[in-house]
Amino acid sequence: MNATNYAQLFQFALPEVIVVVTALIALAVDLLFLRASSTRLRFTIAAILGSLGCAGAILRLLHSPEQASLLNGMLLANPLTHLVQIALLAVAISTLLISAGSTFTEHIGEFVLLILIATAGMMFLVGSQDLLVIFISLELLSLSLYILTAFDKSSAQSSEAALKYFLFGGMSAAFLLFGFSLLYGFSNSTSLPRIADAIHAAYASNPHLNPLLAIAIVTTVIGFGFKVAAFPFHFWAPDVYQGAPAPSAAFIASGSKVASFFIFFQVMVVGFAGAEGSARWLHFVPGWVAVLAIVAALSMVLGNLVAIVQSHVRRLLAYSAIAHAGYMLLALVAHTQQSLAALLYYVVTYALATLGAFGVVAIVEQRTGGDRLSDFDGLSRLSPVLSACMFIFLLSLAGIPPLAGFFGKFYLFVSVLDSGPGLLWLIVLAIAMSAVSLYYYLQVLKRIYVANPAAEVANASAQAATIRTPFLSQAGIILLAAGIVILGCAPHLLLEWIHAAIRASGI
Amino acid sequence: MTWIVQNLWLVPVLPILAAGISALAKQRNRLLAASLAIGSLALSFLLSLCAFAHVLSLSSQGLETRQVIDFRWFQFGGEWLKLGWMLDPLTAIMLVMVSFVGLLIFIFSVGYMEHDENFTRFFCFLSLFAGAMLGVVIANSLLLFFMCWEIVGLTSYLLIGFWYHKPEAAAAAKKAFIVTRIGDLGFFLGMVWLYAQTGTLLFYDHGAGCLEHSALAALVAHITTVGMAASTGIALLIFCGAAGKSGQVPLHVWLPDAMEGPTPVSALIHAATMVAAGVFLIARVYPLMSVHAGLAGPLVPTTALIVVAWVGAITAVFGALIAIAHYDIKRILAYSTISQLGYMMMGLGVGGVAVGMFHLITHAFFKSLLFLGAGSVIHGCGGEQDIRKMGGLRKSMPITFLAYTAGMLALCGFPLFFSGFWSKDAILDAANTWSVSKMPFYLGAFGALLTAFYMTRQVYYVFAGKSRLSENSSEAAHASHASATPHESPAVMTVPLVILAAFAVFLGLVGTPAWPWFQSFLDDQRATLNFAAFSGPGVASVMLASSLLVFLGLGLGWWFYGRRPIESADAPDAFGQLQPHIFSVLGHNFYVDALYGATIVRLNTGWSRVCDWLDRWVWNGAVQTVSHLVLAFAWIDNFFDANIVNAGFDEGCETVSRGGQLLALLQGGRVQSYLRTIGVALIALAVFLLWGATR
Repeated sequence: MNATNYAQLFQFALPEVIVVVTALIALAVDLLFLRASSTRLRFTIAAILGSLGCAGAILRLLHSPEQASLLNGMLLANPLTHLVQIALLAVAISTLLISAGSTFTEHIGEFVLLILIATAGMMFLVGSQDLLVIFISLELLSLSLYILTAFDKSSAQSSEAALKYFLFGGMSAAFLLFGFSLLYGFSNSTSLPRIADAIHAAYASNPHLNPLLAIAIVTTVIGFGFKVAAFPFHFWAPDVYQGAPAPSAAFIASGSKVASFFIFFQVMVVGFAGAEGSARWLHFVPGWVAVLAIVAALSMVLGNLVAIVQSHVRRLLAYSAIAHAGYMLLALVAHTQQSLAALLYYVVTYALATLGAFGVVAIVEQRTGGDRLSDFDGLSRLSPVLSACMFIFLLSLAGIPPLAGFFGKFYLFVSVLDSGPGLLWLIVLAIAMSAVSLYYYLQVLKRIYVANPAAEVANASAQAATIRTPFLSQAGIILLAAGIVILGCAPHLLLEWIHAAIRASGI
Repeated sequence: MTWIVQNLWLVPVLPILAAGISALAKQRNRLLAASLAIGSLALSFLLSLCAFAHVLSLSSQGLETRQVIDFRWFQFGGEWLKLGWMLDPLTAIMLVMVSFVGLLIFIFSVGYMEHDENFTRFFCFLSLFAGAMLGVVIANSLLLFFMCWEIVGLTSYLLIGFWYHKPEAAAAAKKAFIVTRIGDLGFFLGMVWLYAQTGTLLFYDHGAGCLEHSALAALVAHITTVGMAASTGIALLIFCGAAGKSGQVPLHVWLPDAMEGPTPVSALIHAATMVAAGVFLIARVYPLMSVHAGLAGPLVPTTALIVVAWVGAITAVFGALIAIAHYDIKRILAYSTISQLGYMMMGLGVGGVAVGMFHLITHAFFKSLLFLGAGSVIHGCGGEQDIRKMGGLRKSMPITFLAYTAGMLALCGFPLFFSGFWSKDAILDAANTWSVSKMPFYLGAFGALLTAFYMTRQVYYVFAGKSRLSENSSEAAHASHASATPHESPAVMTVPLVILAAFAVFLGLVGTPAWPWFQSFLDDQRATLNFAAFSGPGVASVMLASSLLVFLGLGLGWWFYGRRPIESADAPDAFGQLQPHIFSVLGHNFYVDALYGATIVRLNTGWSRVCDWLDRWVWNGAVQTVSHLVLAFAWIDNFFDANIVNAGFDEGCETVSRGGQLLALLQGGRVQSYLRTIGVALIALAVFLLWGATR
């Protein structure tokens, strides 16, 4: 390998460097100067520091060169990766804002550090077309997330969830690595375009699916299916959503989803180009599209149906996340430019709504001590603003116009229908399942708006009102709700940007 | 000055913002609500004046006066949905009228609603209405127009039912909403059809709009299966919406009932602006209404315009006839409004945009004057609305009397000095030269006679003679103090009256045949002073005839009601004594409401019973079955997830907690089964692929 220009590399990775340095600064400030302060103040300061760092990285991204590629595509920059990275940083900022004021841990500097490190991992992840870098960044992200899940040391649930997450994640990482090594053996390269060339060559000599390739496809799908929590690789999700501290769960449900879906799309569409197969009704052709169609359909059905009988809001959100993963996989099944745009719009708006919903859940938990549905009884009378925000988040997740979730679903389904004939069965299934999902979202809203607050809760909240909701997290939640309404009323604000980025990146 | 075009959106947005803020502010803050509403509308008025001056300067320089600004809203398939706003003479005049009349009525309301406990809600709704109405005026897209139009309908509903604790008010609000909705259905269908035909809903879009030449030519050329041009069909459907909003026969029934709302609302919404929106709609889409095949001259009436003219003419006489036989001061004015709206439609049909719009503008001023005057009278009489119980108010309410008389003479069309004369004369003049039929002219002339008659009747009842208020409402007087003696209203109410009176008198001077500034401004031409126009063919004779009719009407009114003062509230109506049968039919509004009640409403009730039955027993059963099925599936699924997948782990968990070793537990139980699932999935998917590949 030729000598790398380190100055060039540094300039290239400057946004990530900013994030990592901010993480270290936040840790140092917290450990050196704030040991004696109250947890709440330390969290607020650390969150503000972290947010500033992320904002700096966003500014840098907005002014960095349009196209660049280092080390044969190991590191890649184009408008599309910039856009996704900016979305990730925005998610990180929201997470930090929501977590400001939490009291679940003493180790605040470490918490912020891990969030930022995970963010850096995601940024590297989306900016690469090389198996090696993808895997390393994925591990950086995953390891940070395992620790974040375990962060509430006082809760056994938290450690239990983290351990399950870790074991499950380790296993699927092993599968992923196995698949990657098969791909390397198949093509003699770790670069996605080269792998695609090798697949083309293989198909040219034999029109059937190569068995080696079939195994590689399945193991890769398992590896990423774990990250996006698709059936049957979803088992960790309900436990982690339930057990992890609320900000960690919010981050896992939003940021990690955005990054994973983007790179999943990249790996499948760029790396496995030529081995698509087909998922047309009654015309299945083996290939990754066929596998993903099955996984998507199962995820939609299982996620939505099981969510109906949940009695905890976090578990409900977890199963709804599985269902949403099913919808989003449809974009991979369609694998067109249009569906990539729809996927990005969907996943970003979904991330906003999920973050907000978890933010509200966190505040309710601080007040009532749990996330059972009955803990939400009569919330509208205790804090109307939070309830209104939750109303927006849940209806957006359910896909009610004019909120962003509706347009997300709309564009996604349209893009799938436009991609070719024979996929109607998936859309019909998805729409039917969306209708089902409305039921459980409305269950929560019914609790909030119709049910009467339990007497002791009302009394307790009267006292809790003195322990006000932290200003930063409330502001963060309101901003998220406003974002969803604005993106719903004017979807072109984001869509035009996405379309322009996709065109400029030539994918 | 182009900044005014760029920022024209501020005109409707300011009042809407004010409505939003006062909706969120504390209920009790009256000063804030009133000053927000009045302040925002005053700003809108100033902006409207700027816009008007801008158009005026463009037109005096002979430049293109229509300026449009379009923007993209959102993408729909491959199409961008565009909205936009425009500034042209029609918009400019309407903007100034709506914001000015609205401002005066807002100020008046401060006095009128002083004692109402829902003062802030009232101003919130009024501001929302004003914003939406201004939005209607500036819209350059039929869709935006429709959206604002619907908000206007909503606020009308809210304000008619403002005193919702009165059952009549609640019923009237519902009626208004549903009847206008019937018209709106036609409007909506027309809009959809128009979009299907032309692919755009923008009025003007640099040659690509739906009111511009290429789209219109395509619409005319497209002949539907029943042999009617698409343009005619669309125009008629859109006219349905206009007829609903503007109370044209047969959709007029809601307007008299709408008088249950507070009087300023009647003045603003149901006299000056909202009901005129239908007329404005026709004026806005006039190119569509008047387009016809081939190269015939612009004077050839199209089917759509003939329908508009006939409906207008019939409504004009219909409303005026009913107004003769009512005793409620506001209902008389309501029927008079219906009649005058008929004139406007007729003017549009026979004479074009300028003729109809001129009457719209003058009518807005004198009819809001009359309504505010009626409000002042009602306020002064402690809530009494029956004209039989009033009388003698000339002495106790002198300012109101003078202003009201000015409005009444303007409405009657008293020659030369009052605005109504000039605008009504323009309509009659155009009807006289209409090539299709002379009938609308005769109907219009008859309506003018009736107008003078019923207004004279009303004024004699209310203001002449001596007060009959105390004799009949003596019990009421005991209950509510101060209502026994009528009193003049405070200055905050009389000053708007005086201003409106001044406009009601002088506004007509901008549109006389000798100096038709208004008409030429709308048509983008230069007006010249030319007294010879009076001697043009037909002009003088029509003016003379309509003057004679007005004098005849006033004379008849005096003969019946002024000759002998009305002695008591129980005395029968003088005209009613002469023709009891006709009077009774008129008093029952030609039995139109009864007819609707017996046919459409009954049909609807029956149908809704059938639907209810179907819903309860057929559909509900089906839905219940499906939902139980889904629930059952969910339980099975959950059972699978919880008992088969998780059971192993839970089992393990219990063992472990007994042993107290969480880690050991985790290792032993759940994760195994989790990981086993991955293995199963791997095998299943791989088999699926490989089997498919070798097949």
